[in-house]
Amino acid sequence: MPTLRLEKLTKSYGDVRAVREASLAFEPGKIHAVVGENGAGKSTLLQMDAGIVVPDAGEVYVDDARLAPHTAAEAIARGVGMVQQHFALIGVFTALENVMLGAEPMTSFGRLDDARARSKIGEVAREIGAELPLDALVETLGVGDRQRLEIARALYRDARVLVLDEPTAVLTPAEAQALYATLRRLAEAGRAIVVVTHKLDEVRDHADVVTVVRRGEIVVTRPLKRGDDDEVRALSAAIMGREAPEPIARRATEAGDVALRVDGVRLGRALRSVSLCVRAGEIVGIAGVDGNGQRELVRVLAGIEEADAGSVEGGPVSVVHEDRRDEGLVLDATVADNLVLGELDRFARFGVLDGDAFDREVAARLASAGIVPPDPTLPARSLSGGNQQKVVMARAIARTRLAARVLVVAHPTRGVDLGASRALHEQLLDAASRGIAVLVVSADLHELRALCDRILVMARGAIVADMPPTATDRDLGAAMLGAPAA
Amino acid sequence: MKSAGLLSTVTGLAAAWIAFTLLVWLYGESPRELASQLFDGTWGSAYGAGQVIFKATPLLFTGIAVDLALRAGLFNIGAEGQLAVASLAAATLGAHLGAGVPAIVAVPLVVLVAAVAGATWAGVPAVLRARFGAHEVISTIMMNRIADSCVALAFANGFAIKGTVRTPDIVSAARLPKLERAVHAFHGSAASVAIYIALGVALLVGAWFRRARLGRELVLVGKNPRACAAERIPVPRRLAQALLLSGAIAGLACLATVLGYKGYYESGLGAGAGFGGLAVALLGRGHPVGLLLAALLFGTLQQGGLAINGRVPMEVMDVLQGVVIAAVALADARVRASLARMVGKARPA
Amino acid sequence: MSLVGAIVSTTVLAQTLRMAVPYACAGLGGVWSERSGVVNIALEGMLLASGLGGVVVHHATGSAWAGVAAGAATGAAFALVHALLCVRARIDAIVSGIALNLVAAGGTRFVLRALYDSSSNSPAVAGFRIAALDGSSGGALLLRTLADPPTILTVALAALTAWALVRTRFGLRVRACGEDPVAAAIVGVDVPRTRILAVVIGGAICGLGGVALAFDQHQFQSGMSGGRGFIALAAVILAGWRPWRVVLACVAFAALDATQIVMQQEAQAWKDAVQMLPYVATLAAMVVVAKRARAGGGRAPAGLGKHAD
Repeated sequence: MPTLRLEKLTKSYGDVRAVREASLAFEPGKIHAVVGENGAGKSTLLQMDAGIVVPDAGEVYVDDARLAPHTAAEAIARGVGMVQQHFALIGVFTALENVMLGAEPMTSFGRLDDARARSKIGEVAREIGAELPLDALVETLGVGDRQRLEIARALYRDARVLVLDEPTAVLTPAEAQALYATLRRLAEAGRAIVVVTHKLDEVRDHADVVTVVRRGEIVVTRPLKRGDDDEVRALSAAIMGREAPEPIARRATEAGDVALRVDGVRLGRALRSVSLCVRAGEIVGIAGVDGNGQRELVRVLAGIEEADAGSVEGGPVSVVHEDRRDEGLVLDATVADNLVLGELDRFARFGVLDGDAFDREVAARLASAGIVPPDPTLPARSLSGGNQQKVVMARAIARTRLAARVLVVAHPTRGVDLGASRALHEQLLDAASRGIAVLVVSADLHELRALCDRILVMARGAIVADMPPTATDRDLGAAMLGAPAA
Repeated sequence: MKSAGLLSTVTGLAAAWIAFTLLVWLYGESPRELASQLFDGTWGSAYGAGQVIFKATPLLFTGIAVDLALRAGLFNIGAEGQLAVASLAAATLGAHLGAGVPAIVAVPLVVLVAAVAGATWAGVPAVLRARFGAHEVISTIMMNRIADSCVALAFANGFAIKGTVRTPDIVSAARLPKLERAVHAFHGSAASVAIYIALGVALLVGAWFRRARLGRELVLVGKNPRACAAERIPVPRRLAQALLLSGAIAGLACLATVLGYKGYYESGLGAGAGFGGLAVALLGRGHPVGLLLAALLFGTLQQGGLAINGRVPMEVMDVLQGVVIAAVALADARVRASLARMVGKARPA
Repeated sequence: MSLVGAIVSTTVLAQTLRMAVPYACAGLGGVWSERSGVVNIALEGMLLASGLGGVVVHHATGSAWAGVAAGAATGAAFALVHALLCVRARIDAIVSGIALNLVAAGGTRFVLRALYDSSSNSPAVAGFRIAALDGSSGGALLLRTLADPPTILTVALAALTAWALVRTRFGLRVRACGEDPVAAAIVGVDVPRTRILAVVIGGAICGLGGVALAFDQHQFQSGMSGGRGFIALAAVILAGWRPWRVVLACVAFAALDATQIVMQQEAQAWKDAVQMLPYVATLAAMVVVAKRARAGGGRAPAGLGKHAD
């Protein structure tokens, strides 16, 4: 009998239908993988299961009783636990406080009953086979500990359904293995485990059932034989909805002089010692698990933060930042203002803007970037994610036509649909062909392979490997762990 | 967006009306009679209208000042103190100008000094914000208090006519003519040509936000300082500039009180205009016409308060200011929420 | 010498404690509000409104305790409006604070005129008077201050606040809402409700401060809060949002206030200059705080001003 059942769930954000009439059941004792591309609606679907997002239509049933009211508190009370992709833990609270929060045992006068909480967490810790540092502040813990804490928190509330959203995105392969071992044990104890992922090898190795989501709809749900490559290959076609796109034809490299040289750069604890160089016309990728110093490296290259030691030579540098909504765009300003953000001095004489020159430049950038709709007076907020990214990229590319000799791009296509991704990649290739040195930071190995002449691997604040784009996932993965390439 | 602004304005007016009716009724008076008395004392006669314009003029200056800072994302709650210090500086200079200085020199000179004094007073919060990141709300409020003490200190130490809390009269060349000289119907009202200067400043600032590099960047900084910093716009410096300009314009409000009305500065002259400017800015919503209408509305309330003071305490009108601010913000928040629903919020990844 | 002697005396000590009560109450009110994630510059208006509320009821009933209750209730009511505007209607907390402060400033003068036909002050009220401790010596003043119910209540409320925030379920939830409202909501905490309750509790405590201020002067005077609400908020930030430290910071500001008064008496010529002392000190404190914040210390609640979705 299914523990958690979804009936025709539908959810829209504005015009975008994130999930459409999704029906699904999760059974106890099984690890159920939900796969799909970025933005396919997996996360929205499961946040509805956990009561965090309220569906526009449809219902969630726990043990055949409807989840009502549709709140996180009710879902938790009914035994649905969720581990968010971005952990919902409070950094300045202790681990104990985090686990208790929302389900605190009390004694008289509303006092917290620490002893009772500790003993119950002790039981949970034994079940997942982990030691939990209960008195440590969460901000001092590593991601592995934090994730175990999230799982412990769900089990502490007697979760019978455990939903994990991309749990391995931030883990090393070894940590991921350990996680799945834990999940298997929990499933065997009679819980329903749901894992959202886009890593097919994990599905192959660990899932009992798989559901494919594409553009908000459930394409297929079926049981899997563990470790069967053929079944997984068949799935990938279902996920993409068509054959995998042709890799973009890479031009032959004619590397010029060194255009960017980074030597021994340190920054706090984030960058231990980074050295790299990029030649004119070259595209160099930086691969790595998020949070290994990529963000800080980009900020140093952009000149926003000053390195504690080391040198950066070359430039001027044009940068596309990682977080486009926060650092890339002024969402409430017009597309026009965003296309030339920070360049107003170029259009000003004695402090007064030359409106015609401004409009001409905006129109040119708008057209060359293929932004839809091509209306410079709209607020940037009203554009889709892909078009927002085109605005940011158009600005950075335009600067490479002015003074910039180096283009640094962080996660060019994160959260962007395939069509727009293609357009963005072509712009990067075009910039390189004009002799610009391009540095691409990405967690997407396919993207890096398609674009780059070389792939650098970044781990724990340092560049640990320099590989050709033909390197296998295995080699790159080993490098990320700090092990020598096989 | 236009209709959204209209909705907020209407909500603000409706809330003011309801609050007025309620308070008057609680006081045991007839709201209808008082409303008509209020009208008679303001727009009901040319003199009343002139007095409304007189009350609205400093509010328009401070409203523009607060609005300018607000567009850069800053709350300048210090217009009150900036105005006090500027008034003292302008009046003192005005009193000490030689008799032979012609108006064409005297007025601009005094205006300049007023602006510089206002900007200087705003300079402390500006530096604290730009250099140390200290929030301007508390620092501008503290500067208001410090201004009060400084003015008292100055009055006690030679700036005032001995034994009084007022400066000597300014020379006649530095005074601004009253409107009654052009429009005889305004006879007796204290409205002066300062209103034209205020309107000019409003239009100038409006154009500056559209066409000047600095104005445009300030708006962008107000909307997302992080993105601006990432694109190398010097955010702290821009914030400081916004506060300085805001202080300068707040200081200009003394044109209406010192140069256009009394001809000298006395303790308490222009008090309340700084806080009134907050209400004007929040209601006027970053548009010159909106700011003018808001200033006239609050000018009407102030003059109307005097007109009804015999029957209902004029402090009712201060309460209405607060009610209007809250109501407009409330309507704005509602509009924002429904806009967000229409456009679509950030999709969870 | 005489100036130093005047400053370091039991009188000044007593004055300091007496003046610390309104600051400390407003500060504790700020702690409850801001630890739950709601910025509160309306403390100034709350002090004012609750002071009047306390005096009106004291004057009408003759009971000082009824006045205290009314003041706390007024503070709580003001806080409730602030909380509903910020948490439910989601208007900017600073705008809400500005509006409430204006309403309080105008409204108290309106009520004064309406009830007592004066826009500057109320009739005299007795406040808490302990006949056995009458006398004008510094020692008597100190004893009176220490035995004053508002002083004792303030200390008790500080202890209660410090304890409740750390040791109770409600306190844990308040802190969670202040640090990360999204995370709190995900684990089932009702963020708006928790915040509204916290702000209202803070308003009631701040209300006690308003009453203490008015009882101390034995009447209500228009504008008598005199920026104390804002200074208390600065003290909250200076003390890193921790209750006992906030009380300490408030005592420090009160000491400046008391010194200022003594200096005014001793040095008439500079009376206007020394009046600025607390405000200049606040500015200086803000610089210290901002510098420390840059170095990563005294962190503000991370969810201050953020909503749960």
